[in-house]
Amino acid sequence: MTGPRILTKDWDKPSGWSMETYRQGGGYQALEKALKMQPQQIVDEVVKSNLRGRGGAGFPTGMKWNFVRKETSFPKYLVVNADEGEPGTFKDREILLRSPHLFIEGLIIGCFAIECHLTYVYCRGEFRDSAMARLDQAIEEARAAGYIGKNILGSGYDLEVHAVFGAGAYICGEETALLESLEGRKGYPRLKPPFPANVGGGLFKQPTAVNNVETLANLPVIVTIGGDEFSRIGLVPKNGGTRLFAVSGHVKKTGVFEAPMGITFQALLDQYCGGMREGSTLKGIIPGGSSSAIMTAAEADWASDFDTLKAKKTMAGSGAVIYLDQSVNMAHALANVMRFYAHESCGQCTPCREGTAWLSRLLDKIVAGKGEKQDVDNVHQIARQMEMKTICALADGAAMPAKSFIEKFRADFDALVRG
Amino acid sequence: MIPLPIRQAGPVESPFNAEQQGRFDAGLQRAIAKYPPERGKAALLAALHLVQDELGWLPEPAMAYVALRLDVPPARVREVATFYTMYRLRPVGRHHIGICNSVSCWAMGSEKLLARCEDMLGIHPGETTEDGHFSLEEVACLAACGNAPAMLLNNFTFVESVTEDSLKQLIRELREQPGKAMAPGPLPRMPDPHAHIEKQSDPQATGTLGMPAVATHPEAGTTGRDR
Repeated sequence: MTGPRILTKDWDKPSGWSMETYRQGGGYQALEKALKMQPQQIVDEVVKSNLRGRGGAGFPTGMKWNFVRKETSFPKYLVVNADEGEPGTFKDREILLRSPHLFIEGLIIGCFAIECHLTYVYCRGEFRDSAMARLDQAIEEARAAGYIGKNILGSGYDLEVHAVFGAGAYICGEETALLESLEGRKGYPRLKPPFPANVGGGLFKQPTAVNNVETLANLPVIVTIGGDEFSRIGLVPKNGGTRLFAVSGHVKKTGVFEAPMGITFQALLDQYCGGMREGSTLKGIIPGGSSSAIMTAAEADWASDFDTLKAKKTMAGSGAVIYLDQSVNMAHALANVMRFYAHESCGQCTPCREGTAWLSRLLDKIVAGKGEKQDVDNVHQIARQMEMKTICALADGAAMPAKSFIEKFRADFDALVRG
Repeated sequence: MIPLPIRQAGPVESPFNAEQQGRFDAGLQRAIAKYPPERGKAALLAALHLVQDELGWLPEPAMAYVALRLDVPPARVREVATFYTMYRLRPVGRHHIGICNSVSCWAMGSEKLLARCEDMLGIHPGETTEDGHFSLEEVACLAACGNAPAMLLNNFTFVESVTEDSLKQLIRELREQPGKAMAPGPLPRMPDPHAHIEKQSDPQATGTLGMPAVATHPEAGTTGRDR
């Protein structure tokens, strides 16, 4: 293992998730410090830290919070996105199970920074009896210790924290769909603007910051060491801190690994995952969840930060890295990925509802050996026509793999089709 | 379209017995209390989960009852109940097995695992065994990709790093356990309304996006796996 361990420091300890372990390691001292600061000071540190949203978009957290702070309408809300569902992603579940207090401390600091007094953690429904139960227990412990509730640590600041859960819908990981779901409706993404940070766009139409679990878990260390120091942990500019990479696929050791932002995919594979499994050769890398464009083995030396990958026409996404070996036919893999998007498209926008289903049918036809060359071209063209035409990014998230799998692994498709 | 029975006209009544009613009321109160005073309707998803905890699925009279309790239109309850995949619109098996079919689990052999499970239970995804003991479905990514392939039991219990042997052992154990009681409803072995995308519109009928309609074979549109 290499690199600093900020988010995973308690993961190897017995009962690392307990309040006792967390406090022994200095837990909740950052909160005490934060409550003595001005809220705007905290946001300024977060801006300096170059903390980027870990849910997938990589939006600068400090900037998002400044949008919320600029609004003059109260109440303001902070809503946590714990609806982890992007295929390949399993880091937030690990945080909730293994370091719930780290996340809660970050959450309280975040709420204080945007002057929010009521916050919701929206967990995916499947987490109810596991990760959310652990979180609920930790919330009660924090409440008993005086970190949640009225007049926190004598500061005069009040905060109520509630965990709620969904009912099985990938789309609710999209922030506006999540807000719809939190308000008790089906998860149809909202047309933007107004953005959630602005009046009219957030929870109950109030200014709202929607943040990922991992993003908030970085707050205690930012307050402790300062934004500049945090920013320097990242290996590339404008990408501060470490990142939790959720690695799956054909590697020796799968799991969640904490590495500095910007580590290359080859280094992640060699230094953290022990390389590919026995007899395996790397064929492709899905760098940021199944919505991201696939990379070839030759591209494994790319850095994993948001900006590098955006320039390379893929994305760092949720930090879910899937290493695939030579046993995988990429046409089959894409057919699998597309079945997911066709199933999870919420049905609101025609290009996505029809496009994902159409792509899925074409790809199923191709992998069944009934396709023609033209079908492969059609998949690529339909994908291109789905981009930038819908309310949310699900269609783009389906189009990106469709295009890139074909562009980078055309031979796998051609081997299955006639003509 | 999802065929749902229409509720008979008449007063809306609680679908619960006294014991269930107590648990439902307490749970609903807790769920509503999480929201600001005038925002209790937001507890709709939680209310439907509470119904399902008691009855195993969401019968139409229970949906009408939830609409009454939260003062929301019955159509909105139905809209939510049909949107989310964890809600059951028909009874399922007393042990409901979900096998993840998303890409990380797929790469680690989830298709084979599903096929073995189908063989062992004698049912396909979306179906329930004749005795109502087991039902099976494919589920989307569970956020357990590090321990692929993964399964979900009865909506909330994760089973990870599943092998054919461990699956066999699990099913053997579950056969001996009574499992979750289901409120009476339509006969088992009905296809799950959420089952698959194949039900979406015919490609011939949707020449959208300026693209020519796709030539369809009789088999086109079925998934790769033989059913």
